[in-house]
Amino acid sequence: MAPNAAAGADTFPKLLVRNARVFGARPAMRHKDLGIWQTWTWAEVLDIVRAYAVGLHRLGLKRGETIAIVGANRPKLYWSVMAAQMLGAIPVPVYADAVADELAYVLAHADVRFAAVEDQEQVDKILSVAERVPTLQVMLYDEKRGLRDYDHSRLHPMEDVIDEGRSALASDPSERAWIDDQIESGKGSEPSIILYTSGTTGASKGVVLTNERSIKAAADTVTFDKLTENDVALAYLPLAWVGDHYLNYAQGLVAGFCMACPESADTAMQDLREIGPTFYFAPPRTLELLLTRVMIRMEDAGFIKRWLFHYFIGVARRYGERILNGESVPLMGRLLYSIGSLLVYGPLKNVLGFSRVRVAYTAGEAIGPDLFNFYRSIGLNLKQLYGQTEAFLYVTAQPDGEIYSDTVGPACPNVDIRIAENGEVQFKSPGMFTGYFKDEDKTEEVMTPDGYVKTGDAGFFDEKTGHLKIIDRAKDVGRLKDGTLFPPKYIENKLKFYPNIREAVALGDQRDFVAVMLNIDLTAVGSWAERNNVVYGSYQELAGHPLVYDMIEKHVAEVNKSLSAEGVMAGAQIKRFLILHKELDADDGELTRTQKVRRGFIAERYAPLIQALYDGSKEADISTQVTFEDGRKGVISARVKIRDMKTEPVAVAMGKAA
Amino acid sequence: MRAPSGPDVAVGDVLLAVENVSLSFGGVKAVNDVSFDIRKGEIRAIIGPNGAGKTSMLNIINGFYQPQQGRITFKGEVRSKMRPHEAATGGIARTFQNVALFRGMTALDNIMAGRTLKMRRNFFWQILRYGPAMHEEVAHRRRAEEIIDFLKIQEIRRVPVGRLPYGLQKRVELGRALAMEPELLLLDEPMAGMNLEEKEDMSRFVLDANDYYGTTIALIEHDMGVVMDLSDRVVVLDHGIKIADGAPAEVKSNQAVIDAYLGVAH
Amino acid sequence: MGLLYQIFIDPFVQMGTAPDLFVQTLWEGIVGGMLYALIALGFVLIFKASGVFNFAQGIMVVFAALTLVGLYNAGVPAFLALGLTIAVMFGLAYAVERAVLRPLVNQPDIILFMATFGLTYFLIGVGEFVFGGDPKVMITDQLFLPKGAVTYKALGGIISVQKLDVAATVIASIMVAGLAVFFSKTRIGRALRAVADSHAAALSVGISLEQIWVIVWFAAGLVALVTGIFWGARSDVSFALDVIALKALPVLILGGLTSIPGAIVGGLIIGIGEKMWEFYWGPLIGGGTDAWFAYVIALVFLLFKPQGLFGEKIIERV
Repeated sequence: MAPNAAAGADTFPKLLVRNARVFGARPAMRHKDLGIWQTWTWAEVLDIVRAYAVGLHRLGLKRGETIAIVGANRPKLYWSVMAAQMLGAIPVPVYADAVADELAYVLAHADVRFAAVEDQEQVDKILSVAERVPTLQVMLYDEKRGLRDYDHSRLHPMEDVIDEGRSALASDPSERAWIDDQIESGKGSEPSIILYTSGTTGASKGVVLTNERSIKAAADTVTFDKLTENDVALAYLPLAWVGDHYLNYAQGLVAGFCMACPESADTAMQDLREIGPTFYFAPPRTLELLLTRVMIRMEDAGFIKRWLFHYFIGVARRYGERILNGESVPLMGRLLYSIGSLLVYGPLKNVLGFSRVRVAYTAGEAIGPDLFNFYRSIGLNLKQLYGQTEAFLYVTAQPDGEIYSDTVGPACPNVDIRIAENGEVQFKSPGMFTGYFKDEDKTEEVMTPDGYVKTGDAGFFDEKTGHLKIIDRAKDVGRLKDGTLFPPKYIENKLKFYPNIREAVALGDQRDFVAVMLNIDLTAVGSWAERNNVVYGSYQELAGHPLVYDMIEKHVAEVNKSLSAEGVMAGAQIKRFLILHKELDADDGELTRTQKVRRGFIAERYAPLIQALYDGSKEADISTQVTFEDGRKGVISARVKIRDMKTEPVAVAMGKAA
Repeated sequence: MRAPSGPDVAVGDVLLAVENVSLSFGGVKAVNDVSFDIRKGEIRAIIGPNGAGKTSMLNIINGFYQPQQGRITFKGEVRSKMRPHEAATGGIARTFQNVALFRGMTALDNIMAGRTLKMRRNFFWQILRYGPAMHEEVAHRRRAEEIIDFLKIQEIRRVPVGRLPYGLQKRVELGRALAMEPELLLLDEPMAGMNLEEKEDMSRFVLDANDYYGTTIALIEHDMGVVMDLSDRVVVLDHGIKIADGAPAEVKSNQAVIDAYLGVAH
Repeated sequence: MGLLYQIFIDPFVQMGTAPDLFVQTLWEGIVGGMLYALIALGFVLIFKASGVFNFAQGIMVVFAALTLVGLYNAGVPAFLALGLTIAVMFGLAYAVERAVLRPLVNQPDIILFMATFGLTYFLIGVGEFVFGGDPKVMITDQLFLPKGAVTYKALGGIISVQKLDVAATVIASIMVAGLAVFFSKTRIGRALRAVADSHAAALSVGISLEQIWVIVWFAAGLVALVTGIFWGARSDVSFALDVIALKALPVLILGGLTSIPGAIVGGLIIGIGEKMWEFYWGPLIGGGTDAWFAYVIALVFLLFKPQGLFGEKIIERV
């Protein structure tokens, strides 16, 4: 391993002291307030945090106790985390948008006696559930507005606490010695934070991370991505999310880089442009949103600008990715690409705030190859990673030069990954958690006897690249009758990356083969129809059109080809498909409100179609009740055609159960 | 924080009194012999059915219209006639029913425009952007930013207001009025055309402005729920005549008010 | 073929073969355009601030020049006369605000437009009554404006430049720059923009419309004075000068009624285009094209870009 970026410090407070010593005059934190970027150096941050810790101690916060941190990304809240850690107390960040119930659960479960919150809104929220959190005694707040008339017996502005600590330090030299001793006596094996996972299933669990493990993990990736004190990151993702705590807080302290806090959640995009971060993380949906915005603006632009944009984006698609990967590119391509950089990619990256980004990551869900390649082609070094709160984020990450849109990369340095028999990914990592807070049972459920963590995700290592591919939640992965792995979401996502396909439902668990039911995208296919003189009167008519079937068949064939190349997945190729006569709709209960497919309900509702898919019929009749936008109900009946697909030869049947 | 002229008025004392004021356009009496007062620090609602003369009343208070009869006492000074910019200088700010913003300017410039009266340095220094004028500019900018922060409109600071959705335009307009640091703030239907969430936000801002800046507020509003929640006292006009005046609860149960709203013939 | 050649090829060949003539024509176009731009500027200032199309702008040019010359002829020293003329223009601005704008506030635009007609005839009347109707000579020497011409041997020929034209261009540029800074950087400039956007809103934040109107009319008066001096120096000072105000109309259509840069660019386009057209294409149709060229261009613009080159795109929420 490269020289340890943490230089031997085994707790975050010790890192802070080191940074104040080594990078003293360099910016540690920035925040836009009243329209102006304020900066604090590492030395200043250490001063403030020290005073804050003394103030908190005087209010009664002790080693081992927990303190809730609730609010947006603001310096004072990060300082609350640091000050608590300095005293050996354990910060418990909570999502700012958590509803009162969730908040009450976490606060009570974590036994917090202190809470450091952003503003009146959070104070009100906590007060409204105060009787459910009997341990809570002291609340600190950052933003004073609206709180003037509140009962201040248990409520303190952070500013006052810091001031009190500062004057105590100034008047009593022993205070200074005491707090320095606190820092010194902190142990790496002590918990540094408890991150509650926003449980998609059941109540959230408190993931306990320790100082030394967190720092070890952060040091590994700081080295991996060559982060230094000259880097800048914008902390705009939720403070309570492992991503923010890892990418910005832990890596920031280890590398000594500057963490900038946006002015408000809504200004993050503008702040990004002003700060010009060098390290950037965004989930796929944010990247998609940004791209959509660019595209809309381009449609409004003048003729010349629009032409330039589309022409050079085309150039970028051809050569950009290869240039970024350092592959050989014809001279003409290189020339065109550099003109494009000057005229289009440069200004575009500037508008998006990406001009200085050296390393960018995306994670959280599968990213479409088009979207991923777009950003890479304009020269943004966007990479994928796979991680979990339990691992303190990183499990795998793509190294520079080995980037694929459909993998999440090889195991990170010092991370050990294995695939269990049921296809589940399991790992051992330097940063992994020590257990769930006050929940032995859950911890045992997730941790294997030999010390691996079960991720709950199914995946496999790609033979060609050696990278991990995540296919689905392990519990959702089924098997065909012959034992072949059947990950429905993985197949559906492959289909949905085609703009013409809006929704897909894959079937196959405990069946002979895989079949899919599709929704076409009315906008995309509609404009295709217009260009190809296909006349249609309704979604139903368009969906049933033979030419549309032909087009979709091509997409399915491509998906089969890509599945066949993946060894494990080769047996899960699609044998038959149909295009549904209506769009799946949340109003009809077919999708959740977050647009996820409700498999059980769909299986029931479309039983005749599913039967036809598997009994070899060429078509099937179906009538379904629908709810119109005005709330009226009606029935749609249709005869839906079914197409057979040729499958690619299965090379090795690796996915079959042993 | 004080308007430059006139004696100070203590909280709870009469800030502005309207006495027997009448205004007519041609033969139509828009306001007929109306008297009421606004006390310092309160939120005063003016309500009434359409055509009751509410907006005319507001226009009289801030000098857009000159009443033909009656007199107005503001901060103890009686006046029969005053020009709008004199009202502004005296500490009266307002917003408009249909939003009157400087559409070509950004939200920030609109709010800065509210600082016009507070700028005193001569234009020679302003041109050079030097010396005292620069300090002054910075101080005014800071006030504007505080208001932007107060109204939570940071993300639209640089957007020309013509492009903003209606709800935000109303917020910017409130910001511009607050930037004047007025003693009396007149709001002409601040929640008109807003959805429920926007209304709640705006109510919060009105209450906060009253609480935080201590601004006396007179507002016209149609939404009775809003009026009852926000205001300390309510005056009811109908066909230019005052038909009730008092606490929200009293006014609500007043028979004349109920009749007026239900459209009983006179 | 011959005709097409004469229209589409020959003029450009001439430009290439005799670049000295081309540069000479271009310069004359710039000087003419500058003066058009100044007049248009007067219109734009007033229109922006008060929404009034000031028909009297042309006559204000004459009135200013006439006052200057008249005072001098009456024995007032030249620079004192200049100062007094500036004072008169201020007095005019004040009087217009008091006597015309204020009483007519909140009246329809057409009423105000008609009022400026009245103002036109009032100024003509006063001018003739006080200073007489006969053409007068501009006092260029007395104001130390340069005269004569310099000639350069260049581009294979001789280019001759009137010193007065150079002075006019320099002074006009300084004045435009000064106005631009004034209106963009100062409180009054901000107030002017505010007034241009919304009268009611401007009033509500304490901007005094009266004050702004006086300032703007005064600025327009100063612009008129400068225009009058230079235009008068090229011909005579007489009421015939006010026809040049008509030339400002196409400039305004090109540049947009509300844009100061528009007035300048529009003026230059018309000035240069007019000279070029006359010189290169005029002979084909017997010359005299500068009487109508500007209006044809304006017509084309009205058809294809009615808001003008720089006119405000009306930003509306969709």
